[in-house]
Order: sequence, then structure tokens, then C-alpha cells
Amino acid sequence: MLKMKQLTQPRVIIFILSLIVLCTLPWVVSSFILRIATGIMMWIGLALSWNMLGGYMGYISFGHGASFGVGAYITGLLMMLLHLPFFVALIISGVITYIFAMIVGYPTLRLSGSYFAIGTWAFAEMMRQLVLVLDTTGGPEGLRLPPMLNDNFFYFVMFGLALLVFLTAYFFFENSDFGLKVKAVREEEVAARTLGLNTTWIKNQVFALSSMFAGIIGGAFAYWITYIHPDSVLGPLIADQMVIMVLLGGIGTLFGPVIGAIVLYVGNQYMLAAWGQSSAYLIILGLAICLVILFLPEGLLSLPRVFKSTTKGAFARLFSPPRKTRI
Amino acid sequence: MGLFMQTLINGILIGGIFITIAVGFSISYGVMHIVDFAVGEWIMLGAFTAFWLNMYTNVDPLLLIPFIALFFALIGYLFQPVIQKVVNIKHRSAAMMALAFTFGLSTLIRGSALTLWGFNNRNLITVLSEKNVDLFGITVPAIRAGATVFSILVTAAFAYFLYRTKTGITIRAAAENKTVAGLMGIDGHRISRLVYSIYVGLTAMSGVFIGSIFSVFPDMGLRYTAFAFFVVVAGGMGSFSGAIVAGLMLGLISSFVSVYMGGAYVFLILFFILYLILVFFPKGILGKGW
Repeated sequence: MLKMKQLTQPRVIIFILSLIVLCTLPWVVSSFILRIATGIMMWIGLALSWNMLGGYMGYISFGHGASFGVGAYITGLLMMLLHLPFFVALIISGVITYIFAMIVGYPTLRLSGSYFAIGTWAFAEMMRQLVLVLDTTGGPEGLRLPPMLNDNFFYFVMFGLALLVFLTAYFFFENSDFGLKVKAVREEEVAARTLGLNTTWIKNQVFALSSMFAGIIGGAFAYWITYIHPDSVLGPLIADQMVIMVLLGGIGTLFGPVIGAIVLYVGNQYMLAAWGQSSAYLIILGLAICLVILFLPEGLLSLPRVFKSTTKGAFARLFSPPRKTRI
Repeated sequence: MGLFMQTLINGILIGGIFITIAVGFSISYGVMHIVDFAVGEWIMLGAFTAFWLNMYTNVDPLLLIPFIALFFALIGYLFQPVIQKVVNIKHRSAAMMALAFTFGLSTLIRGSALTLWGFNNRNLITVLSEKNVDLFGITVPAIRAGATVFSILVTAAFAYFLYRTKTGITIRAAAENKTVAGLMGIDGHRISRLVYSIYVGLTAMSGVFIGSIFSVFPDMGLRYTAFAFFVVVAGGMGSFSGAIVAGLMLGLISSFVSVYMGGAYVFLILFFILYLILVFFPKGILGKGW
């Protein structure tokens, strides 16, 4: 467990200080900035949850938005039809998305590479079409949730969820045997299996875990926005943004998705404020993916390494995950 | 019975066009090992090029087809080195990066088209539009029949090129095993470039037909990307006969579902079948894919 020596490391001190700053944020900034901060927290959580699957395990999914949408719709339906309180509905929707992802993941994870990407994409589109034709979900009319106008509440919910996903990524994927097993699947799946790893179980667990987080965040999003529509929570843009945030920040790292989420979400909101709802956002989004992949394939996080000679590597050491000698 | 036959003929005629797209798509996958998420955007760009050229020059879109095919083949030829650069990146998952790259490319093209041309639907009017052929009491729209016949001819010519000419044989060799083909003196980069340019040309050309049968709008790409994936995955990547069977299957399914169940169910059923085929027959329904 944590020892005193570990607690006094500069990294840990910075982490605790930033937590304190983030906790006092609602009383410092205006409600407009607070809403943006809530959005940033949400996307940090989503990008980190996608990174578990796409970054640590190497299974690129273009259908992760399906988990987000399913979580949002289950939370909404539980609150509207059964009148459950928010947190109970959120927990139940997390459990349901976990089980759902287990069932879907078992056949889907037999695919790999491009086929997995197409399969998840097809599945996500199928879910959107299903919600559009079903009656209980309101079909194309969407679903309304009981309104709740408390910005601080939602900030802390999203903050807590993002922190939960971050800590899960840190303890289960960066610093544990489980994380090494997951990375072994990414590097060479056949070799991992010959070494006695139950790769089917590992892949299912990672898929279900990352889907569960996306589902819970989707549920919180539904209650925050109070109106959900198949195109807004199950549309392809949700999954696209998760992929882009991770690629932009740095795939397979802990801080990459965080940085990518902050940069992209702030940029998106700035464009919304400057130009209004515009399809020009898609141009920037597409251009960003292409340029990042062409010139910075390891994301913004590798920038310090690129400029290492000028910064003497101090910046790089601060933000890169702790190196382990154990392989 | 009349309705059933009508639906059947419509289905076969829609499916005919997708065969051409699927053949180009799967051969480019075979050589470059990239699943191109931008396939629908090439269709959209082809249709829009035909629309604007038709508007300014008043030449019939059907006569513009050879020009559009050549023009987009040139674009593909010039653009391929960029994709090749992504494939050659020193990264642990270069193939995935290439996939994400085409995904970004499709977002970029769609966003540009939406920004430039708005959300409006446009109609591409050809000399065959609004004309019908009566066949044993079934009305066959002339443009659909013409498109299908043309697509089948182009596919046949492409098949001849692949199986009977020297360049075609080198392409198939590169698709089968690039390293060994390279050892035999086949220039992999040149083949990749050629194949990508043929694929873009064929796809944009099909876009003209699709635009004149349905309508032209900047958001149409997503729909046809889904269709192209369906045909290629169901038929098996790189399989000629599979692409033909899957193209006809796609046409029949979409036409029967929209007539007997309603238009809202078409995509639900198609994606469901696509998912099932991927999971249970990853090599395609004929089992001939790579």
C-alpha cells in the first residue's frame, strides 16, 4: 500500500494539490466556466475509458459510443418509468452495461484489428437504429428526464466519475499485474496465450470494464442534459471524439487522454462560442486526426520528448508514467 | 405477386452498383491492408463533381463518367503517398493508425462538404431519368437498369484486367503476399499506388450512378460507407464472387425490408446482419475472403 515516502513524491503532491483546487472550483469560477469544467471532466472520463480498450489492449473500437448511449438510456428509463432516485439508477445502469458488454464482448472480441473496428461500429449503429424504432425509448422523439438545475451537483458527479476512471486506469492498468497482462495481449496475443494467460477472460474484463465506465458517465450526462435523443447520445460523433481525444493526447498513456480531452473540448466550446453550431467543427476534427497521425503519432504527450534537448527532459519526466524495470 | 417481383427486380438493380464499389474496395484492402472509412465520401465527391460539372457545362452526367473516373483516379494516385506514409510510421499499431487516419479523412471531407454546400438535397438529372422500361408488367427505371449494366461491364473489365494481364497478376501477387512479391521484383509501392488510384476512380464513378438514382447530399457518405462495408465484409475481403453475391444480397435485403417492414428498419436489419456475419463468418458468406 501507500507509504509515507511515496506520499511525499512531487507527483503525488501535485496530484493532491490539483484535487484541492478542483474541489474548490465551483465557488471560484462563474457558472459558464463551471459547465465547461463539467464537460471536460466527462470527456476525460470517456477518453480514459476508451483508452483502456484501445490504448492498453490495442483493440480500436469505433462503437464505444454505444455503451455511453445505452447507459444514458437505461438511467433515463429507470428514472422515468420506475421513478428510481438518480444514484440508484446510475448504479443499476452501470451493472446492466457491464453485463451487456460481457454478452456483446464475448462474440465481438473474437474479431481483431480492422474487423473489430468494423464490428463495433456496426454494433453501435445497430443500437442507434434500434433505439430509433423502439416505443419505450421514445424513438426519434427522444427521452425527457426530470429536470435538476444544480450545476455544482453535476460538477461533483462528473468530477467523481472522472477521478474514479483515472484511479482505475492508474491502479489497474498502469501499476498492476493485470495491466501487464492487458499489455501482453496488445503486444502479441498468441504469445500471451502460450504463456498461460486466459486472454479471452482478460479481453472480456477490459471490454466490460471500459464499457461500464462509459455507461455510468452516459447516465450522468443524461441527467445533466435532461433530454436525450438517439442522435445526441448514440450518434457516431461521441465515439469519434473519444478516439480523437486519445490519439491527440497520446494513445496508451495515462495523461494522454486527459490532455487530449481538455484540448479538444475547450477548442470545441470555443468554436461553439465564436461561430455557433457549425459543421466547420467536423473539418477541424478531421484535420486534427490526420495531422496528429501524420506528424505526431504518439500524441501531444510526446511533444516534451521531441523538444527534450531544450527542456533537459524535466517536463518529460514529470508527465510520463513511472518506468518499471519489471517487464 | 406484382409487388414481390417489383421489389425483387429493384433489389437486384440496386445491388448491381455496389458490386463495383466492393470489388475496388476489397482489392485495395488486399494490397494496402487498410480498411478505408472514407469510401462513402469518395462516392459523395464523385456525385457532387458530376452535379457541379453538369450545372456549369450542361453535359449529361452519364457522359461525364469517364472524365470523373479518370479525375478521381488521378486524385487517388496523388494522394496515396500520404496514406503510405501513415502505414510506414514506426508505431506499434501502424495499421490501426491508418484506419484512424482514413476515419479522420472521412470526417474532414464530410465536414468540408457540409460547410461548403449545406444540408440540401440535390438531384442529378440524366438523359435516362424519368424513363421506364416495361418488362412483363414490371416497371424498371431506365437509369437503374443502365447503371447495373454499366457496373457489371466495368466489373467484368476489371476482372479481366486482374486475371489476364501482367499488371493484374502482379497486383494479385502483391495482395497475396507483399514480401514474397517484393522478392520477385514487384514494386510494392507502385502497385499500392496503382490499386488505390483504381479504387478511388471506380468508387467516384459509382457515385455518379448513386447520385442520379437517389439524390446528392453532403451527408450521403455515411450511408454508403455502411453499404460498402456490408458488401465487402459479407462477401469476404478480396473475393470477387463473394462481392457479387453480397452486393445482390444487400440490394435484396434493403429493398424487401423497406417495402414489407418500413424504411426505418432497413439499417437496423442491415447492421444486425453485418454484425452476425462478422462474428460468425469472418471470411464472408462464401468463405473465400482473406
